[in-house]
Amino acid sequence: MEGSEERTDAIYSIGAVARMLGVPAQTLRAWEERYQQIVPARSEGGQRLYSRDQVDQLSFIRNQIAQGLQPADAHRLLAQHHNEAASIPAEQHPNAQASVEAATTVLLAERDPYAAEFAEYFLRTEGYVVRIVLDPAAAAQILRHEPPSVLVVDLLISGGAGLALCRTARDNGPVPVLAVSAVDQRDQAFAAGAEAFLLKPLDPLQFVSTIRDLIGTSAFLRQAELRR
Amino acid sequence: MTDRLSSGSDRLDTVLGGGLPRNGIVLIGGNPGSGKTILAQQYIFHNASTDRPAIYLTTVSEPLDKILRYGQSLDFFDPSALGTSVIYDDLGRTLNEDGLAGALTSITELLKQHRPGLLVIDSFRALRTYAADPETFRGFLHELAGRLSVLPVTSFWVGEYSSTDTSDAPEFAVADAIVSLGTEREAGRDRRVLSVIKLRGSGSMSGKHAYRLSSAGIHVFPRMADVVELDRYDRAQERMSSGVPALDAMLSDGYYRGASTLLAGPSGVGKTLLALHFIFAGAGRGETGVIATFQENPTQLERILKGFSWSLDDPGVELMYRSPVDLYLDEWVYDLLDTVHRTGATRVAIDSLGDLAASSGDELRFREYIYSLLQRCARANISVVMTQEVTDLFGVTRLSEYGISHLSDNVILLQFLRGDSRLKRALTILKSRGSAHDPFTRQYEITTDGVILGDKFEHNQDLT
Repeated sequence: MEGSEERTDAIYSIGAVARMLGVPAQTLRAWEERYQQIVPARSEGGQRLYSRDQVDQLSFIRNQIAQGLQPADAHRLLAQHHNEAASIPAEQHPNAQASVEAATTVLLAERDPYAAEFAEYFLRTEGYVVRIVLDPAAAAQILRHEPPSVLVVDLLISGGAGLALCRTARDNGPVPVLAVSAVDQRDQAFAAGAEAFLLKPLDPLQFVSTIRDLIGTSAFLRQAELRR
Repeated sequence: MTDRLSSGSDRLDTVLGGGLPRNGIVLIGGNPGSGKTILAQQYIFHNASTDRPAIYLTTVSEPLDKILRYGQSLDFFDPSALGTSVIYDDLGRTLNEDGLAGALTSITELLKQHRPGLLVIDSFRALRTYAADPETFRGFLHELAGRLSVLPVTSFWVGEYSSTDTSDAPEFAVADAIVSLGTEREAGRDRRVLSVIKLRGSGSMSGKHAYRLSSAGIHVFPRMADVVELDRYDRAQERMSSGVPALDAMLSDGYYRGASTLLAGPSGVGKTLLALHFIFAGAGRGETGVIATFQENPTQLERILKGFSWSLDDPGVELMYRSPVDLYLDEWVYDLLDTVHRTGATRVAIDSLGDLAASSGDELRFREYIYSLLQRCARANISVVMTQEVTDLFGVTRLSEYGISHLSDNVILLQFLRGDSRLKRALTILKSRGSAHDPFTRQYEITTDGVILGDKFEHNQDLT
């Protein structure tokens, strides 16, 4: 029951989804408007918030289109899957495997040493290299010189310096940011360039899977850049 | 805003303003035998899953085996959940060997390894004895609470905390919710009561709520203190028969639906009979009625009914007989509400209020309960008649009925008169809210057809 709740939790910004899937945000909005099928939740400030389930569904649509289907037919096929209560297989999420890549570093800018300890543990057991900083200035330094695969920011670090750190990361390059906070600051986080938001206390499994998705993004971006 | 953790019991959740704060620290305090361990286990079995298991840690006051042995007898105890979604473990050895620091390390490891959704530490109070001084214990609390607060885990700190602990025990300051299980002396016996001392993030129901322990866990009977609804008298316009045509005529056209009626009078005057009229009149119209009695057991009642060609076999009649001995007011009221709900009854007869009042011992509480009961029935358009014995055999001077007459919509006085050296029965409507009524005192007789109302007394008759 808990697991299914997590899959429907609204976490990702449209920018994050666009990059994860390689589908322009404009196209995602057009699909939503035209087919009214994958409709993300909205934050208080009106920002689109996608769940993992929706990302999987969009990934299904994208794959069908890649195989030659029209967007309308792809949506119809998705609806059929829904009616047959067949869930979209998770492996269709092409970037999920990217996390296994070696040397994926998570930079953890945390306020709370206990939270850092647990987050570090859960990521490490999943094979990630974790760097913990309790000071936003140090985090900014690392971002510039040794950019990690993903940055996790507690927005309340140093009395609320987390949003500035999100902006620094956005201005610095392609490091995706997961913002976390004990209070709902989704809108501010997305406005500052974060790609995903989780409310504390973090559920270990959800936390790790979100990181995995975002690193997929990062890997995808790198591939895209390589192609260019 | 705060997410709530359900106990699996609606009534307990109601008392807790919807449930305990999820991911919070919950302190359960109470004397030995008050059901702390049962309550904690009720929560874990209701909420644990393989994704989010529950960990139950015993410390030093009670051996783990004992908790498990008695736990098995609980209905919700599921042996197949052990080791997967519910994990019992003992912290006693670690505590004895490495003290609080060792316990902290063990707990941290368990949190990492199992990612539990629930964590019980029983007894938490016993941990104090492992601290050299209060500062050490505070330090331990801080470390533990710090770890628990960054994870999605609801923890239960169970201990034999007493009411004097509340102010100075540091655990109480750290806890997000405090539930106290205790007893209260009432009407010469101990009554189990649950109270919510602290609850962050929402309101809770104040006061002491009676509860009982059974193999199904804790049954709470939330204290009843319903608020007044002033507009309800305007709503129901439908009238219903009292079962006695002449009485209906005196009341304009019977009682209002959803009204409450008090039948007051001395012993043997015919109160029960008039209440039965009301129930069987409904049954004759296809309306279910509940007879809630303490006075007559089913056999005795059946004998009385036979005399008037009524029967308990009537499908429209539900008997709820409870012995007035060892009766708990809270439980009885909930029992009645459940019975009404189950049967879809629209009429209720309570015979008598005196028995119920005796079970309470506290006049104010009794009045609150009856008042709340009447309110709930009125809201659901359920009509209630209640009998109330008065002590004066002749010449009733006061109703002495705990103020229930103020709460009732109708009050009917039944009395014996002995003027002219002849015993007579007389009926007077003292009050009928929202309608005009016959102001005369009328004579009545009890025949095999029940109550037969006669003429009003003439001005020259002796009404003593």
